[in-house]
Amino acid sequence: MTNRLRVLRAERGWSQQELAERVGVSRQTINAVETERYEPSLSLAFKLAAIFATTIEELFEPGR
Amino acid sequence: MLESPRRKPLSGALMFGVGVGWVVVYIVCLLVVKETDVPRGVGIALAFAPILPFLAFLRMLGRVSREADELHQRVQLEALAFAYPAMMVLLMTLGLLELVVPLSPDDFSLRHLWAYMPALYFAGLALAWRRYK
Repeated sequence: MTNRLRVLRAERGWSQQELAERVGVSRQTINAVETERYEPSLSLAFKLAAIFATTIEELFEPGR
Repeated sequence: MLESPRRKPLSGALMFGVGVGWVVVYIVCLLVVKETDVPRGVGIALAFAPILPFLAFLRMLGRVSREADELHQRVQLEALAFAYPAMMVLLMTLGLLELVVPLSPDDFSLRHLWAYMPALYFAGLALAWRRYK
């Protein structure tokens, strides 16, 4: 699964740590999602989509 | 969606302290039982004594695991999924081996084998983190 997390985070000028604090996970989790080594739970995917005011479908794409 | 109120996170120093306390109690009990001539009843009580600080440590460990974020929980699960079967294989292999080769109780008694468990757990932890870093 691919995602646009890094792009959206960069657009807002947030660090991984800042985003992690906003969604209540560790920086390592954000890093692992961004590098596509880890696929988040549905609950975390919803939180991430809400933070970026988008939908899960816009944020994550099936593929690879 | 309502979030449940968060409890204050456990301090790492407190958890480390309780863990060290457990190991210290174990070592003291081991030395007393091994090196002194205690009555059998006292010896049995000392053999069970480390369970109390261990329970305190286990309670903290459970809380930390429950409060960890999802990636950390997954890493812990993968570490245990490695360590548990690896320990089982080690015990099975030693069991077979001792049928053909006398294993020295100074190296392979139950008093020593537990030490392989944290070693395998930390190996599993390192392997799991390598996957997600």
